[in-house]
Amino acid sequence: MITIPSRIDTIKKFKQNGGQVAAVLPIHYSRALLRAFHILPVEVWGPPNVPTGPAATHLQPYVCSICHNALSFLQQGGLRLADFIFVPHACDSLQGLGSVLLDYIKPTQPVFPIYIPRNTRPSDLEFLANELTQVYDRLAENSGWQPDERDLHACVDREELADHVLLQLHQSNRYLPLTNSEIYRIIRSREYLPAEEFTRVAEKVLASAGDTLRPGIPLLMEGIVPEPGDILETLTEFGAAVVGDDLASCRRRAYPASSRQDPFERMAERILKAPPDPTRGSSIQERVDFLAALASRTGAQGVVFYIVKFCEPELFDIPILRQELKAIGIPSILLEVDLNARLSQQIRTRLEAFMEMIE
Amino acid sequence: MRETAQKKAGVFTPPLKSITKASMMVAMHIAKGRKANRQGKVAWVTSGFPVEVLSALDFYTFYPENHGAICGTAGQSVSISIEAENQGYSRDLCSYARTDIGALLSGRTPIKKIPAPDILVACTNICQTVLHWYRILAHHFEVPFILIDAPFIYDRAPAHAVAYVRKQIEESVPQMEAAAGKSLDLSRLREITSLSRMASQLWMEALERGKNRPTPLSAFDQFRLMAPIVEMRGTAKTVDLYVDLLVELDERIENGIGVIVHERKRLLWDNLPIWYKLDYLAEILGTHGIVLAASTYTAAWGELAEMFDPEHPFESAARTYLHPILNRSTRDKLLKMLQVCEGYQLDGVILHSDRSCKPYSIGQIDQRDQLINEYGIPALLLEADHNDQRAFSQEQITNRLEAFFEMLGV
Repeated sequence: MITIPSRIDTIKKFKQNGGQVAAVLPIHYSRALLRAFHILPVEVWGPPNVPTGPAATHLQPYVCSICHNALSFLQQGGLRLADFIFVPHACDSLQGLGSVLLDYIKPTQPVFPIYIPRNTRPSDLEFLANELTQVYDRLAENSGWQPDERDLHACVDREELADHVLLQLHQSNRYLPLTNSEIYRIIRSREYLPAEEFTRVAEKVLASAGDTLRPGIPLLMEGIVPEPGDILETLTEFGAAVVGDDLASCRRRAYPASSRQDPFERMAERILKAPPDPTRGSSIQERVDFLAALASRTGAQGVVFYIVKFCEPELFDIPILRQELKAIGIPSILLEVDLNARLSQQIRTRLEAFMEMIE
Repeated sequence: MRETAQKKAGVFTPPLKSITKASMMVAMHIAKGRKANRQGKVAWVTSGFPVEVLSALDFYTFYPENHGAICGTAGQSVSISIEAENQGYSRDLCSYARTDIGALLSGRTPIKKIPAPDILVACTNICQTVLHWYRILAHHFEVPFILIDAPFIYDRAPAHAVAYVRKQIEESVPQMEAAAGKSLDLSRLREITSLSRMASQLWMEALERGKNRPTPLSAFDQFRLMAPIVEMRGTAKTVDLYVDLLVELDERIENGIGVIVHERKRLLWDNLPIWYKLDYLAEILGTHGIVLAASTYTAAWGELAEMFDPEHPFESAARTYLHPILNRSTRDKLLKMLQVCEGYQLDGVILHSDRSCKPYSIGQIDQRDQLINEYGIPALLLEADHNDQRAFSQEQITNRLEAFFEMLGV
């Protein structure tokens, strides 16, 4: 049994050692840049099951539960241990949330918005490198600290190693003697563990990989985040093994290494060369190709589109993705969820029927 | 029917002649579009794209958003959207996009024929929705897709954001030239930029005539007059239209003629129009002596006029197209509202909380609260959707409006 330190223990330990903590909203940012300033990024994907009353006084009901929950969590003191709040620009809703935070809510912590470009041209790389430099300047001004190029590269090296191990975890998923929930708990610990600690945990898990496939009908998950988490247990219950994913919180952030000399360009390139993502403007064909290749490599027999309600970047692509998957013989199911709702009986019944169909 | 006409006659003064002229211009543009694929190259374009480059390359420009609005005013947006929904497109997606995709999949449109694109061009300065929407179009049509990515301005636009937009515009030129089959003539681009600047200035001047009491131009008039500034802004015809509009407005001002016969209160409209309910809203407001004297939405195509610089078309396009209201912070929009309320001597604000337009709508709850609590300006948040009638509950909206009118003392 692998022990993974909890979020709260990790935060406390990091702070006890003189570090600071940043609460980071979805999706893309540079962990290395924050770590260069001794700031531990702890990601806030919701979280699920938060009373959302406070956010309703700022956000309309047609804004997704990731934004509602994040804001409610903040307003109820859930981010009190955070010294900074980072809001990467992933969609219109997170853009709005960032702006409302800066303009009206004005939390005690400094709020850092960061714009992630929607393409992968040289001009996008240059812009993102400049955006990251601007964050560096603000952090330097704030802390009086100025990590040099060598420090920055060292931080990127450490993150690259962690992401390499993360990718191995994804690729070895089928051979791990663990359940869906256990595997994704390890993968998602990348959201808050320091890179070096994640690497240690993940390497230990990888060492337990055997050469037999774990039981269950192999499936892929697609969407933003596997929350509410009971989806993974329900899939196990129905005999499914989630052998891979195209989730924004997971596989889409297994960032590749970069060999660029400039540390900011290196950080930027890693983000821009990550797996296809609608919030970074990837074409639908890139997404189809990625899913098809993943299904082929993992032997997945179906895809669960697990979508947070009102998520436009996901909802736009789904009809074509499902159609193209069907054309290559991969059935799929679309489930729309709210982070605060447990899986309904209706969803369970549909999932069960989907599993029977695949069998 | 006759009763409604009489009621309207007692409430409203005759409509502006310029509205008919604008409608004619749009009708001619649509008619030209039916033959556009035979006569030249076609670009599908978002309303906030630096269209001057496309115009200089002689593209026929088709605006899916405007087409969506036409479907909405024609009362067809829901039935066309359903065509998209039946193919799996969620009702939670923008209703313009659903209308457009529905038209694409079914061939249904009130304008008879939509020209096929040779190129797709979008700018994220109005929303990220257009990025996702145009990726669908690119997949469907298999034609080049050019994206100008305009980073959202949370505070002030950093120099690297302006440089980024400028670079993208410059780098897109060869792709546009390839699709157009011709080279960009810089002097023509300057000329078109100059016309865009002029048209935008005139448009803004026309909107500012709304400051007069009684106001000669309502937001409903603006919604009906705005299509040329959106889709034909770099043309002499648009300049002429707004010159004529100003003359017409000045005549009305001189003769003390307002939009409604007895103007009692003046309000600001925030967000997109509710296209399928323009008449209903005009009437319920008008019969209470209320006029919408200004709109944050229509001002978007005028307030940046001074940023256009024909001598530096790329640099100025970068600045102009980075700064639309939808690409600026929620605080900035509140400041804009306050400025308009003061300048136009308004009595309150109606904020249309548009479920199809998150970038415009998020922030409105705080804006409303601040208008009321910090600045003492009455404000009403109205839940609806710009193009999907299923999200419009007339009974509920009537009740809310009437309660607001009571509060305003009318």
